[in-house]
Amino acid sequence: MKVSRRDLLIGSAGATAGLLLTPVPWKLLGDVSIWTQNFPWIPQPVHGPVETKYSVCTLCDGGCGIRVRMAANCPVGVAGVSSHPLTKGALCPLAFAAHQLNWHPRRLREVRHAGRAASWAEAQAAFEKACVEGPIAIVDGRPGRAVSSVFEAFTRKHNGSYRVVLSAESQALAPYAAWSGVPVTSLGYDLENARTVVSFGAPVLDGWGTPGRFTRLWSERAAGAADPQLRLIQIEPSLSRTAARAWRWVPVREGSEAELAAGVARVLLEEHLVTPQGPMPQLSLAEAAAQAGLTTEAIRNLARTMVENRPVVVIAADGNPAIAALNVLLGAVAAPGGIVRKRRRVQSHIPADPVPGRLRAVLVDSTVPWEFAAPTDAEVFRFAAWDGGGNGAGWLLPAPGFLEELTDVPTSPTSALETYAVALNLAVPPTEVQSAAQFLLQIDPTLPTGEKVIHAHCEEIFRARQGTVYGEHPIAVTKLDSAQHLEEQLRKGAVWMGDPQSAGKFRCELKEWPMENCVSHASSWARAWAPPVFPPLATKLYQESNLREPPAGRQA
Amino acid sequence: MSARYGMVIDLDRCAGCGACMVACAAENNVPPASPRATPRTGLTPMLVRKVSNGMEGTARREAFIPITCMHCGNETPCVSVCPQQAVEVDKSTGIVMQMPQRCLGCRYCMAACPYHARYFNWWDPAWPVGMEKSLNPEVAVRMRGVVEKCNLCHARLHSAKEKAAAAGRKEIDHADYIPACVEACPTGAILFGDLSDESDPVFSAAHFPNAFRLLARLGTEPNVYYKSEQAWVRALAERDTERATEGKHV
Amino acid sequence: MSDLLLIDRRWIARGVERTPTMRFVLWLVPWVALLALGIYAAGLCLYYGLNQTNMDNRFAFGMWIFLDLAIIAMGAGAFFTGFLVYILKQADLKPILNSAVVLGFICYSGAVAVLMVDVGQPLRAWFTFWYPNTHSMLTEVTFCISCYLLVLILEYIPVLLRNRQLRKVPSFLVFEHQLHKLVPVLAAVGAFLSFFHQGSLGGLYGVLRGRPFAFRQGFAIWPSTFFLFILSAIAVGPSFLILVTATAETLTGRQLVQPSVFRKLGFISGLLLALYVAVKAIDTLVWLNITSPSLGFGPRDYYSYWPLSSTFLFAVTVPLGLLPALLLIMPTTARKRGWLLLGAALACAGVLLNRFVLTVQTLALPTLAFDQFLRYIPSWQEVATFGGVIAYGVIVYSLSYRYLPLFDPPKGAGKHVSLG
Repeated sequence: MKVSRRDLLIGSAGATAGLLLTPVPWKLLGDVSIWTQNFPWIPQPVHGPVETKYSVCTLCDGGCGIRVRMAANCPVGVAGVSSHPLTKGALCPLAFAAHQLNWHPRRLREVRHAGRAASWAEAQAAFEKACVEGPIAIVDGRPGRAVSSVFEAFTRKHNGSYRVVLSAESQALAPYAAWSGVPVTSLGYDLENARTVVSFGAPVLDGWGTPGRFTRLWSERAAGAADPQLRLIQIEPSLSRTAARAWRWVPVREGSEAELAAGVARVLLEEHLVTPQGPMPQLSLAEAAAQAGLTTEAIRNLARTMVENRPVVVIAADGNPAIAALNVLLGAVAAPGGIVRKRRRVQSHIPADPVPGRLRAVLVDSTVPWEFAAPTDAEVFRFAAWDGGGNGAGWLLPAPGFLEELTDVPTSPTSALETYAVALNLAVPPTEVQSAAQFLLQIDPTLPTGEKVIHAHCEEIFRARQGTVYGEHPIAVTKLDSAQHLEEQLRKGAVWMGDPQSAGKFRCELKEWPMENCVSHASSWARAWAPPVFPPLATKLYQESNLREPPAGRQA
Repeated sequence: MSARYGMVIDLDRCAGCGACMVACAAENNVPPASPRATPRTGLTPMLVRKVSNGMEGTARREAFIPITCMHCGNETPCVSVCPQQAVEVDKSTGIVMQMPQRCLGCRYCMAACPYHARYFNWWDPAWPVGMEKSLNPEVAVRMRGVVEKCNLCHARLHSAKEKAAAAGRKEIDHADYIPACVEACPTGAILFGDLSDESDPVFSAAHFPNAFRLLARLGTEPNVYYKSEQAWVRALAERDTERATEGKHV
Repeated sequence: MSDLLLIDRRWIARGVERTPTMRFVLWLVPWVALLALGIYAAGLCLYYGLNQTNMDNRFAFGMWIFLDLAIIAMGAGAFFTGFLVYILKQADLKPILNSAVVLGFICYSGAVAVLMVDVGQPLRAWFTFWYPNTHSMLTEVTFCISCYLLVLILEYIPVLLRNRQLRKVPSFLVFEHQLHKLVPVLAAVGAFLSFFHQGSLGGLYGVLRGRPFAFRQGFAIWPSTFFLFILSAIAVGPSFLILVTATAETLTGRQLVQPSVFRKLGFISGLLLALYVAVKAIDTLVWLNITSPSLGFGPRDYYSYWPLSSTFLFAVTVPLGLLPALLLIMPTTARKRGWLLLGAALACAGVLLNRFVLTVQTLALPTLAFDQFLRYIPSWQEVATFGGVIAYGVIVYSLSYRYLPLFDPPKGAGKHVSLG
């Protein structure tokens, strides 16, 4: 049989038509489309049972309650907790992506010493040696925790000193501490009862204190109203986010906030707008106006407005005593709506800066900001979950990251009432980590463990019979049957908050009006954010949009 | 169910913090930026834009406008233009759905959207090693070369429906379906709900005298409303042809 | 070496004079290099993704879409000349027909190649055929352009098969003969398809309610840009054909078609261009006074970004619209080759500018009250791909001219080519 060209043509045509009737070409097309939807290099999320756990964020001292969605025991989502008494469900922008932090490329995964890899055993041996040779110091970025007791106990036993680094919000309360003798960590702002809030550059609507606390208050009582119940007066050189939303924005010349405060004080005293509770400033009104870049009339109006709707409280961005003195004058100290004392237990701390004398070694906890400069002649043992870079000669010790450590959360610096919460270790660290407390316990097992201290603290709260536990529903402590019950609630993500009547009394003594030059600091957003890196999704806020400036000294 | 999901965003409350942007990105498995990404090539299904009244000094006023897909209800611009029906309006919810799996990446819908609410995956999504463990398992990860946008956290609606079905209910519990941005806002600026339900607070909010929609004159019937007591903010709803050259923005 | 020259000689038709082989190779070298660069750039885009370009979320369309629209408008000469010859029986244009077909083939194949690189997921290109959206102009464009490319391939094959060596294969001759009978049908189908896709390319922008700069009212589902694009395409097609053929004449140093062919094409082009300008003027007035204000946008939203946008509008209508129309119509100028070519060039420039305005400028203009006028500069990969397409066109045209009877007039109507 001879196959002609014609046969071949007809055969091919028939085969093509027939092939189209088979699943083959369609299946191939389908496979191609499926392949393009599932490129092998595109990561897939984990699969596993999904559950919701409650905990508290420890990335700054705000202590926000968080609701963590877990899949296959990995945190896959973070949201706020609406029943939290301080935050009422709000979180800072970075918290929503905080669960990514543990996988950040700069996550510290091994012990490093002078730029090369080392081991925990070596680090331990080196620290032990340093303790013997002494003296050492331990720097804590968040005093009042259970592990802080461990640090203090260690330094007492081992020839050392315990020092703290306080957040900017805490430092802003330092003048009151100096004038009254009450420790800084016992003071707070009673914003819930204030009707006028005067902020000298403090970003109260953009990451000040515990996010949510003031923003929720302001949202309920002030937002959009021409004559709001809560008046926010923002005194700042430029139109910041807070200033843009404030009821009044006073554009003061940069660096002259203290002079403006003095001018206002003068008006308050001269026009008898306040009962004289403090000294008269030396600066005249005209001088103050000239320095601040405002007219005398403007300063008068400001002073009058401040006292129109009382109680009024002044919030400073840092510890400038000139601004703090205004609160004394306005009667906003130890009064509702002003600076209050929230704790009766007195516990003062030594600041870490400046460090007197020579130190053999310094152990820096992971809660201390990365920018903290340890004395260069000491051997530095730096605990951190992320490597912020630029730490040449010392020891870098991988610490637990986000939600990787069972720890407690003491009262947020700015809150008016005491709070207490426990943050659970919900995530498994990707590498071998040790917290500073665990490290010290290995060296000295006689120290109390963090868990024991938490337990003791719960006992103390239970015995005091005051306050409320805010879990799914608020429960008064008096209704709880045991400290164990209280601790169980806290371990499930609840927050304990003290009663208002537990606040203490105190007085501020001012001999003369303080005049200190204002240090203008670059108001960088997320100043309170402790880790040296941002969650990668933070790029949405500055690199992938024009919403914010790129963060100073941080990388996403 | 028949609903018209939408939002009313109070611009007097929005402080421009960006929590909604990050929460949206985390919920929807949006990848972090490539090193070369810029504000014009970023992936921000929720984007907060800063606007001003164009003046300087003490007369200057600023505000923040969160822009998301408006889920246009009439002649939805992006739906009619997609050559392979990768975009459709879900009649039962009013949500404009984008199917990245069907998207060819022709970007015609991006040209069509007057709100610039659509974003293209210019790069392969990439996360640092191990970070895929932190991805939301309820949302599919996209690939490069496709368009994506806000879909009102449809995965959460899906979960709410599943929960209702498991409890034997036909209608979802509204408390179970809250988009990530709404939940994240610290000032409570975003009100979310069913615009067709008169008992829903969002219905009355949308009918406030000071409520407006962006570019309403285009006739696309967006389901995202804004409201403000400030006249200069409301004036940003439409192009002011008299002052078009003055660039009323930052 | 002499073998190579002999082989080359064998592929060139007998009795026809062509440039010496080496000179031809030298001519091709830079174009091949440009093509290689273009392929490399396109490869980068396919491999790394579209971040290799400078397109972004605001400039979703950039240089390549402009290239596509422009190249398809220029390629309209193919279907329109076929329409004129086979449907309107303008037999005196037959000598230029093959050139038109090759040009059309180049333009459309180049456009489709660039489109494959321009989309984010080229492997899903078939989705449009599988899930077509009847409401979308782009679906229409995809279908019509794909079909029309097939038509052009079918029209090009007979030209290809008339090559001296290929003619020796009997089955090719038979195939070519059969195909030749189809040519009038193909021309009609091509005209029909082209009418629609040229229009739909304009419709792409005319339906964009979200872009009032481009949005137009129209007739039924077709915005006015649909008809304007058809008109401008058939106006510019013949002009482009004139330009390319005249360039070929200059480069080869011989007269390839009668000047009367050019004049006729030029006259048709000029007439259509004049009509286009008139219709566009009316359309612009309607748009500026009725359509655009009803959407809340006024002239200031478009024309305050001096000197660009208002200059473009003026340019498209007068120096690149009315002027070339007059040059091509008026006998005093049309008779002179120089004026004719100038007219053709200005006409092409005008349509190119019009395509640019509708693709790129539409996206540059702000829509939201707080948007800015944006700028976009293509990346080298985009420019290289553009250059690659042009190089591809030059190479295919050069090879077609050298080895195929592009300009041999067929011996009488109805009779197909003779052997040898």
